[in-house]
Amino acid sequence: MAPADLHFQVDIAHWGWTIVWFLWFVGIAGMGSVAYFFVRKAALSYVVFGSLVLGLLFVVSHLGRWWNLPRTLWTMVTNGIFNWSSWMLIGICLLSVHLILSVVIVAGHIPWLQRIGWLKWTATLSRANAYLALYAFLGFMVTVYSGFLLTQAAGIPLWNTSLIPILWVVSGSIAAIAVIELLYVFGLVESSVSTLAVRLGLGLDAIKLLAVLGFLHVALSFGSAGARIGATAMASGEYALMTWGGVIGVGILIPIAIGLYTVLVKKSKPLLVVSSVAALAGVFFLRAVVLLAGAWEPLVL
Amino acid sequence: MSTRLRKGQAPTKRMAHVWDASRCIACGACVLGCTSANMPEMMFREEKGWKSLASNIRRIDSVTPQGRPEILLVQCQHCEVAPCLTTCPFGATYMDDNGMIRLDPRMCAGCSYCVTSCPYNVRWFHPDSKLPKKCMGDTCLDLVDKGMPPACVQACPAGARDYGDLNDPNSSVSITLRTKRSRRLLENAGTEPKYFVVEGS
Repeated sequence: MAPADLHFQVDIAHWGWTIVWFLWFVGIAGMGSVAYFFVRKAALSYVVFGSLVLGLLFVVSHLGRWWNLPRTLWTMVTNGIFNWSSWMLIGICLLSVHLILSVVIVAGHIPWLQRIGWLKWTATLSRANAYLALYAFLGFMVTVYSGFLLTQAAGIPLWNTSLIPILWVVSGSIAAIAVIELLYVFGLVESSVSTLAVRLGLGLDAIKLLAVLGFLHVALSFGSAGARIGATAMASGEYALMTWGGVIGVGILIPIAIGLYTVLVKKSKPLLVVSSVAALAGVFFLRAVVLLAGAWEPLVL
Repeated sequence: MSTRLRKGQAPTKRMAHVWDASRCIACGACVLGCTSANMPEMMFREEKGWKSLASNIRRIDSVTPQGRPEILLVQCQHCEVAPCLTTCPFGATYMDDNGMIRLDPRMCAGCSYCVTSCPYNVRWFHPDSKLPKKCMGDTCLDLVDKGMPPACVQACPAGARDYGDLNDPNSSVSITLRTKRSRRLLENAGTEPKYFVVEGS
């Protein structure tokens, strides 16, 4: 029997599809910049930058009082009120710095910008290992932040687990690999990089499958009532199709099947497109189910 | 007038709400009184998520396993370890020197992190101002600043509601909590709520 006090966060807090898009883009951008450290292709830096900008646009558009943001920031700075215990504030800072670093790297790759004398330093900086290591580290931290953002929301027991940042990092890495595969299909990345990415992706898909099933198992078996309500919605309720069909079927099993075919039989560009799109969709569905299934602990007298 | 506490400062008072379930007749006067006093524009509008009147007091109707109907009234617990205070990225949510959790609208961008952070699900979005509303509303804050009880306490015909300072051993809430059996909601959440449900004498 459903408890009398059953409320999903999306109906009240309205963390819905806009936040799903935000988390998805941030996952691609974050782990994409880690991948950039190894791949160093202009196209990947454009994807990272574009994803960051789109993610930020989604999250700002979600703010109920976005028009008050300048005043909010001004009041915060002038009064010296910085709540560093909030993962959201930490995230705002990380995203801002990461965006600036991304702009420099993108500028370093655009030939006509390099013809402008005072912008030549961007190309030098965007090839420096230390700078790229910082870029990758911030990308990793941005992905971690997007996980802890949910973990810290004490009202939603389903989210109060450190598995979420780990899931976000693993699935963000899978998204970055999917982007690399797509870039290979378009001839923007070498075949050897793509082959390595497929092998790495297989391992990450297996870890993601284990982490998703573990997330459901722990919440269903040992979670509080609120966590069980959310996990039940994911496993057998309103969001079951998205979980089993979207996250696991499309997002994990299809990429694993195509990855095995690629490794054991032969590499096929059309199949790699299917695998990459499926993996990216799976990363999106994962964020959607976890977010939408969040419910409060039912209160009883 | 109360002021914002800075980091490391402790509140001078610990203002608390008491709801005596054994006296409550479930008339809903406190819920209506809260809305009519603090946001009269919402009197005929629903809080869509809760599917009830938009108010800073949320009413939960349920039935016991024995089939007896029962209600629970919940509102901001003014937690001493408030999760909304920890998560608000802009410092819009703060504790004042009375130990009350308050919102500075100038600093709120409407991210709703405080809504998801509240284990008691007592914050709701005002559809016009987009502010995360909760107890206490502006009118009630004015009332208590003038030394008067908040609207819900004034509206209750059964004397089931009270508000006062836990630090004052002679306050009515302290006396009630000393003499009657009471408990707090989600005691294990570690939030140290200052909303007490009196179960009987």
